[in-house]
Amino acid sequence: MLVVNHVSKSYGKFEALKDINLEFSNGVYGLLAPNGAGKTTLIKMLTTLIFPSSGEILYNGTNIARLGEKYRELLGYLPQDFGYYKNYSPRQFLSYLGALKGMDKKVVNKRMDELLKLVALEDVATKKMKKFSGGMIQRVGIAQAMLNDPKILILDEPTAGLDPKERVRFRNLLSELARDRIVILSTHIVSDVESIANEIIMIKDKQVLYKGSIDEICKKIAGMVYETSIPYEQANMFKKEVFSLSEKQEDGLLKIRFISKKTPEPTWTAVKPNLEDVFLYVYRDDIQESGAS
Amino acid sequence: MNVLRFELKKAFQSPVVSILIMLFLFFNFWLIYKHAGIREELKVTNQLVERFGYKIDSEMSAKLQDYYQSKLQKMNKLTNEKFGKTYERAGDFFAEYEHRNKELSEEELHVITETAIVESYYELIQKIDQTYRHLDLSQNAKMDIKGYGLSGKTAEVTREYYIKLKNRLDELIEAGEHKNLFFIGYVYHMHSFLFKDLMRQMIFEVMILVVLITGHVTTYEFQNQTCLTVYASKRGRKLMLDKLVANLFASLCICAVILGATLLVYFLVFDYSGLWGIPISSFFNSEFSFPYISWWKLPFGIYLSCVLVVFIICQLFFTVITYSIAVWIKNNYLVYAVFAILFGFCVLIPGIIPKNLTAIFWTRYTPFSLILNPHLWFIGWNVFTPKKYEWTTTVIWTCLLAIATVVTFLKFNKEQID
Ligand SMILES: Nc1ncnc2c1ncn2[C@@H]1O[C@H](COP(=O)(O)OP(=O)(O)OP(=O)(O)O)[C@@H](O)[C@H]1O
Ligand SMILES: [Mg+2]
Repeated sequence: MLVVNHVSKSYGKFEALKDINLEFSNGVYGLLAPNGAGKTTLIKMLTTLIFPSSGEILYNGTNIARLGEKYRELLGYLPQDFGYYKNYSPRQFLSYLGALKGMDKKVVNKRMDELLKLVALEDVATKKMKKFSGGMIQRVGIAQAMLNDPKILILDEPTAGLDPKERVRFRNLLSELARDRIVILSTHIVSDVESIANEIIMIKDKQVLYKGSIDEICKKIAGMVYETSIPYEQANMFKKEVFSLSEKQEDGLLKIRFISKKTPEPTWTAVKPNLEDVFLYVYRDDIQESGAS
Repeated sequence: MNVLRFELKKAFQSPVVSILIMLFLFFNFWLIYKHAGIREELKVTNQLVERFGYKIDSEMSAKLQDYYQSKLQKMNKLTNEKFGKTYERAGDFFAEYEHRNKELSEEELHVITETAIVESYYELIQKIDQTYRHLDLSQNAKMDIKGYGLSGKTAEVTREYYIKLKNRLDELIEAGEHKNLFFIGYVYHMHSFLFKDLMRQMIFEVMILVVLITGHVTTYEFQNQTCLTVYASKRGRKLMLDKLVANLFASLCICAVILGATLLVYFLVFDYSGLWGIPISSFFNSEFSFPYISWWKLPFGIYLSCVLVVFIICQLFFTVITYSIAVWIKNNYLVYAVFAILFGFCVLIPGIIPKNLTAIFWTRYTPFSLILNPHLWFIGWNVFTPKKYEWTTTVIWTCLLAIATVVTFLKFNKEQID
């Protein structure tokens, strides 16, 4: 079990995370937050690349900094900006990382074959990576993270650059993997985690805002989400009174999905909230700000 | 072990390294080639040593005289036939008939040249005692003090220095260490050629390669943005340790390649057979009015080995210096710049210190100052080449760099990797 205990992190005077408390046991955890919320910061602390300014991170009761190699041995990590050696082939690069992960050469070779097949790169396994597309590199990164069959798999925006087909494949892969390990993935794309995460963690204002299953989190705005169709002329007026989640054209009218705390009008149909609704609602200020700027 | 192999691969995969090695070897071979004209003349020395041994004593001297006389006779017979003239000295022929060389066949010219060389040996041997009798080291002290503008404490150090060197010189003369044959330094300058021109060139070549490789390998993960993946692996930040080992090993490889190839060609071109046991302080090795006086009795072979050891140690120092800079700076081009600045700084410092402070001496105990004069290593030449200069520098910098490395590791272990 991985425990984050009252962890804060400051970069100089700037505080990126404040008093974070989390617990991870086997399963998929979705770290869902907008840009700049501190997802990568948290993940880098979990991978011992940076250290908490205060608080501690424990694995089975021992500080991960003290565990050192014993902890990192269990770790698989895909960084957000996955760097690679341009003149190496995926095979060479994975061999190197296998060596760094302290794996036996034979085991590396066997695992490598399986993984390259899994991420559909077996055809280019010996080609230099400098000719690879962004999505292909990302898949090398995913393979690399899983090379040592990690007990703790941490992926920072793993689906960035993947096409829909690969995205689906990747999702299925993760839910299968997560049966007997901790999988933590960060994303700001709701659909990535919606179907597979056992638990969602949302960070706002440097702190953990929500932590729970998707159903639990969706309950936070239950009974507040509606859909209705209105003529275009009324749209602007209407949107001032409610919080609009999504809009689309339908039969010359504007079909709008929104959140309102007022007593509903008869033309409104109550709908079941989903994760995206929560995300949009929770981060409405951030989103409006960044939209305005 | 496995990781080390991958790090070494990074060291040598860059085409720049291979191209530079080729280029540098070409420079070295070119330098040797330019000097190779005297190759045949040098062989006379080997012949003499083979015939009479290299130890000069009265018995050997007498034998050499006989040999010289017979040579001179042969030569005169030849010149008599050709030009109807005989000479008292072979040297006179060259003074007088430079332009007539062309009228002689190669073989005939060779006879005369050889005679002239044997003659030089014979004549120089007669001058040895006189030359050493006239050496006045207190005069050297005065010249150093005046030449370098020393005063006060530093002038005193200089006088003490020459007293020490005088003791060594007396000892050397007593033991007859100077009375040995060698290539004639005044004429061929082989000591300067090998240990100054060639060795210094190699020092800088290897230094460039070593700094290049070490900067490259050490900053590699940061330059390729693989630092997050790599330093979060099981090996983690200890990879920096592997990189240090790989760098040191790569430096040794570079030393082996450059030194090995260059010296191999050098000794194939210039025949040192029979001369390896001759002390470097031999009178014949001297190239100027002041002879090379090694602080210990060092036969040529041992001297060369010692020079190579210091050479390699210096390169390992440069490796560790570059490495320490690179762990802090993480950008290889900046690392090269900082190294260059450090180099310039360390070389310039001794020159700008007031001449009455002893700091002008101890600020020279750096590998950067040390490598400037490889031909004076282990030799008492002037007040800036004290006894044990090389070893003291080595010991001091081994300690300094050990501390620097430990500090660097501690720092890197606590460092945030972004
Ligand atoms: N090395 C650093 N020095 C100073 N500030 C930093 C540093 N790294 C991150 N930050 C700041 O910390 C905050 C959190 O950054 P972080 O990268 O963790 O966000 P994120 O949630 O991963 O964002 P994104 O979705 O864009 O990847 C940001 O405001 C960022 O500017
Ligand atoms: Mg991020």
